Amino acid sequence: MVSKIKQLSLGVLLACTASAAHADIRFNGFASIQGGSTLSSSDRLYGYDNEINFKNESLFALQTQADLGDRLSVTAQLMGRGSNDFNAEFEWAYLTYELTNQTRINAGRLRTPFYRYSDFMDVGYAYDWARVPSSVYNLDFNNLEGVSLVRFGQLGTVDSSLQFIVGSYNGTTNITPAPADLSIERVAGLTWELTQGNLSARLAYLTGKLTMVDQDGQLTGLLDMLSESGFADTASQISIDDARSTFMGLALGYDDGSMVFSGEVVRARVSNSVIPTQNGFYLSAGYRVNSFTPFVSFERRDNDSKAEIYQALAEGNPFKGAVAGLVEDFSIKRDTWNLGSRYDFHPSAALKVQFSSQKDKVADRRDQLLTVGIDLVF
Amino acid sequence: MKKLLIASLTFFSSLCAADIAVIAHPATVDVSLDEVSRIYMGRAGSLMPVNLPEGHALRDQFEQEALGRSPAQMKAYWSRLVFTGKGRPPVEVDSVQAKIEFVASTPNSLGYVPASEVTDQVRVIATIAN
Repeated sequence: MVSKIKQLSLGVLLACTASAAHADIRFNGFASIQGGSTLSSSDRLYGYDNEINFKNESLFALQTQADLGDRLSVTAQLMGRGSNDFNAEFEWAYLTYELTNQTRINAGRLRTPFYRYSDFMDVGYAYDWARVPSSVYNLDFNNLEGVSLVRFGQLGTVDSSLQFIVGSYNGTTNITPAPADLSIERVAGLTWELTQGNLSARLAYLTGKLTMVDQDGQLTGLLDMLSESGFADTASQISIDDARSTFMGLALGYDDGSMVFSGEVVRARVSNSVIPTQNGFYLSAGYRVNSFTPFVSFERRDNDSKAEIYQALAEGNPFKGAVAGLVEDFSIKRDTWNLGSRYDFHPSAALKVQFSSQKDKVADRRDQLLTVGIDLVF
Repeated sequence: MKKLLIASLTFFSSLCAADIAVIAHPATVDVSLDEVSRIYMGRAGSLMPVNLPEGHALRDQFEQEALGRSPAQMKAYWSRLVFTGKGRPPVEVDSVQAKIEFVASTPNSLGYVPASEVTDQVRVIATIAN
């Protein structure tokens, strides 16, 4: 399915660029080269271990936009991530039609607008941190295939940007303990961003129907056994099958040119499934001094497992242990402190150094990481 | 010595920071400086802004005084919009002279130039005094 879409997107792009010989075609790109290592041999964080690694978070992207005239344009972004051996994939591929100066429709493969920085989370140059705060930016399915309508406007002195989006997603995810095939059907969402002077606020609300099937079959096997043994109720409380899901996010920002504050809080729910309510927030403060922007941020992720699922089973039930183990795998409590600085040493490039220290309260461990990287736009 | 030279040049250029005139095609109605700043930030599509190349001293001065942002901040700002299909930066011309000619011949366009270089081909719709 995914590769079909890739071929389709490429086809559309080539067809459009080839036939529109007089189209105004522009190229832009961005890149991040980031190296890092944890501070001790047992620490593991964000894909790093105690060996210096320059591949994990590095990426290159090239974007082309062809203006076909009469308010129609086509955009494709090809990105290669170090974590995927720099194999290039279409991250975005969409058509844009400008209905009016203030309203545009995008159709194709789009970024799902969960978070304030969703649209440019891969463009490290666009923000001060080494990476977006993972306690909040934790969903690993960031794109969808669909249609979005964006409307810009003004309410008095407040600038408003309203986005409606519908679509669907098929792919894989690691948000479950084991990799799983994931589909989200009937995604519908609304985001509203308001800016006045130095202040900005953003609201997001999305819904969809979530289905997940674990690739190693352990979960599916357990569910089958539960159903066959007369515990179909328990199985249905665990299974993630066409589950109604909602996502809510609120972000606030302040930037007066020297002081930079931002914060974001998110909550996601997947009803009638083993996935508990997902809670996360971060707060970040920075101060620009000439070309340097030192910052400090705090993040928290707090997911209480749905213990009631296994607590309802009688003592001595042969499945109780397995169900409890599965349910508790979804319990996540982590606090992270980040300390770092951005240095704009070149008109198109920024150097970033960041130290992160994460306390995992479920596993009772602390992992510490130091990364140094360069982000470019061109 | 080199540092001293740079420091004195900076001092000299800040002394010479000229008044900036915001110019438009003669048929354009007046807009406020707030609106001009909004247009240059890509938040209002009412008029077509014209920019100077990156690194041009007048562009740096205009972005600092009218938009309140340094060149690096502007670059970061546009990188948030360019890669998401939400906007594109203003068109650029090579020189102040080219800008005056562009604005004079393009209805609904506007630009900024040193107040001392305004010609009667264009209309001044706002001034940033120094």
